[in-house]
Amino acid sequence: MIGIVATNITSPLGWTSEQNYLAVKAGHTALRNFHSWRGIKDTVTVGAFTPEQEASLLLDGFTKFESLAIRSVKEALSHSDIDVASDRTVFILSTTKGNVGELSDAGGNYSAPGVAAKKIASAVGFTTEPVTVCNACISGVTAQMLAGRLIAAGFYDTAVVCGADCLTEFTLSGFLSFKSLDPSECRPFDIDRLGLNLGEAAATVIYAADAGKDAWRFVSGEMNNDAYHLSAPSPVGDGTVRAINHTLEGFDKECLAFVSAHGTATMFNDQMESKAIASCGLSEVPVSAVKGYFGHTLGAAGVLETIISILSAEDGTVLPVRGFSEIGVSGKMNVVTSPVPTEKTAFLKIISGFGGCNGALLFTKDAGEFGGMTPEVATKVVHTVHITPSSVSVDGEELPVAMRGRELLDEIYKSHIADYPKFHKMDMLGKLVFVASELLTAREDAARENVGGEDGDRKDENRAVILFNATSSIVQDLQHIRTINDTEGFFPSPSVFLYTLPNISIGEVAIRNSYKGETSLYILPEKDNELMDKIIKASFAGSLSRSMITGWADCSGEDTFEAEMKIIEI
Amino acid sequence: MDELILKLKQQIIEVLNLEEMTPDDIDDDAPLFGDGLSLDSIDALELIVILDKYYGIKLASPAEGKVVFASVNAMAEYIREHRTR
Repeated sequence: MIGIVATNITSPLGWTSEQNYLAVKAGHTALRNFHSWRGIKDTVTVGAFTPEQEASLLLDGFTKFESLAIRSVKEALSHSDIDVASDRTVFILSTTKGNVGELSDAGGNYSAPGVAAKKIASAVGFTTEPVTVCNACISGVTAQMLAGRLIAAGFYDTAVVCGADCLTEFTLSGFLSFKSLDPSECRPFDIDRLGLNLGEAAATVIYAADAGKDAWRFVSGEMNNDAYHLSAPSPVGDGTVRAINHTLEGFDKECLAFVSAHGTATMFNDQMESKAIASCGLSEVPVSAVKGYFGHTLGAAGVLETIISILSAEDGTVLPVRGFSEIGVSGKMNVVTSPVPTEKTAFLKIISGFGGCNGALLFTKDAGEFGGMTPEVATKVVHTVHITPSSVSVDGEELPVAMRGRELLDEIYKSHIADYPKFHKMDMLGKLVFVASELLTAREDAARENVGGEDGDRKDENRAVILFNATSSIVQDLQHIRTINDTEGFFPSPSVFLYTLPNISIGEVAIRNSYKGETSLYILPEKDNELMDKIIKASFAGSLSRSMITGWADCSGEDTFEAEMKIIEI
Repeated sequence: MDELILKLKQQIIEVLNLEEMTPDDIDDDAPLFGDGLSLDSIDALELIVILDKYYGIKLASPAEGKVVFASVNAMAEYIREHRTR
């Protein structure tokens, strides 16, 4: 049975999962208050490694981010006997910003997330191509879903999932511009909560096809987009409710030891989660959340919180929400205030992120197995689009265009779309993905009108949007760095920062079309059709989605981009 | 058009990428959010950056912006009273 065979957490609270769990159980926190942090002149509270810890973490020839991930993966591997060099083993990295702390106009030590994943993979000894999940705050859950699916589909026997992100001026300034940081320690679900604290960590879980009967595993899971707003969650928790309901279908809620919530302590996230928990009938289930111990560790969060939850369930203890004292959300929920003993061996992990994405995973060590599928699932290509800086074709037909580069995207918008002024607010990657998806859906709409009748409203609300690229959001990353490097003109822009999450471009497509299926972005070292095809096929496993917009969408400059996307159905 | 009002409208159009609009299209008294320009919460955060960057005014939270960003006129009035640059 697919399950977890080894884990690691490397954080300011310790170098192993056990050290971290015991520190949390003892009520320790990584959060510290600073009157300024590196170039950031504001008072902030963050969960950062101490300078001594950082010095001992660094490996020769690797960046801090890479060192952190390598250490975490190697420590996890030391508890298992899996063959890393096997062509049946895959490495999955989960990160929002990877090496961005090294990025500057001058170049520096920066390498894109997919390339960094390859460096980490080689250092550890993996031989297959790594996959990087870059899906904002839910990356760690998306990465575990991908691991389960790739194994269930039979493509690999083992998947090593590492979530990692470093605290940087880049992300700190961005969240400051969003006014979403609490200058003191965060207070999840509390009436006085002011926002989140950022943290840094790496966390690794190793999934194996034959983990044995007693291993922890997730038996179901789902990701759903709110299709509501790029940064604010749906007030009623639309996507989270969908994800939870699908995940818990047929499962007795009485068996849940607890819900491990996202609990970032922002006004909107916590309120949304309370509504979702209440409307899914989980008001009586104890809710735990660990941001008060680690801060928000972004790409590591989904993995780290899974591991802490497993150890807590193993220990028969539901952990209290540090920082919480008085309920400040309107959905009825049972926030844990002191350790509660439990004998139950199942928990629900929920998580939400920018771009409107939400995820839920049901973990248990009892019966059940993640629903697999045959790898030969037949997918039918319905429409295709290919955009380069000088050409556009749809379903293989060239469209006449006059402009090139950035202007070409504006030209496509003006001549084929023209009714969505938010287009002008998007970054280059966002514009590329948007016009490509519009050209695809226009073909689909035209075909639907021709058919008429019953087929006229066969629109798939659960449609997924899953894209791949190599350079993440590099154009926008450099733009954000220019603002924060300017000490005189230090005015980071929330909208510039928002688009430094490449999955935002997919959120735009979900909102435009009301697509409420999975929305995910994967980064590869380079375009790799075979690997993309495996991931796409595996992504239908256990999901409600019956169709998908998918493909390659990469933008590394004003005149260097490519979208090769398609609509597929099963 | 009042010089500050014109300047402010130009800044709003530029920062919020309201590509298809000119200062004449923005009514001085029309609400910026909701029906008017139909700006959203990210735009509100950008307006806070405009106040800080060009007028040296620091708003602590988007909640304070409700009154300040009621309309271009309201914003201009607030700037006249509180500007430090």
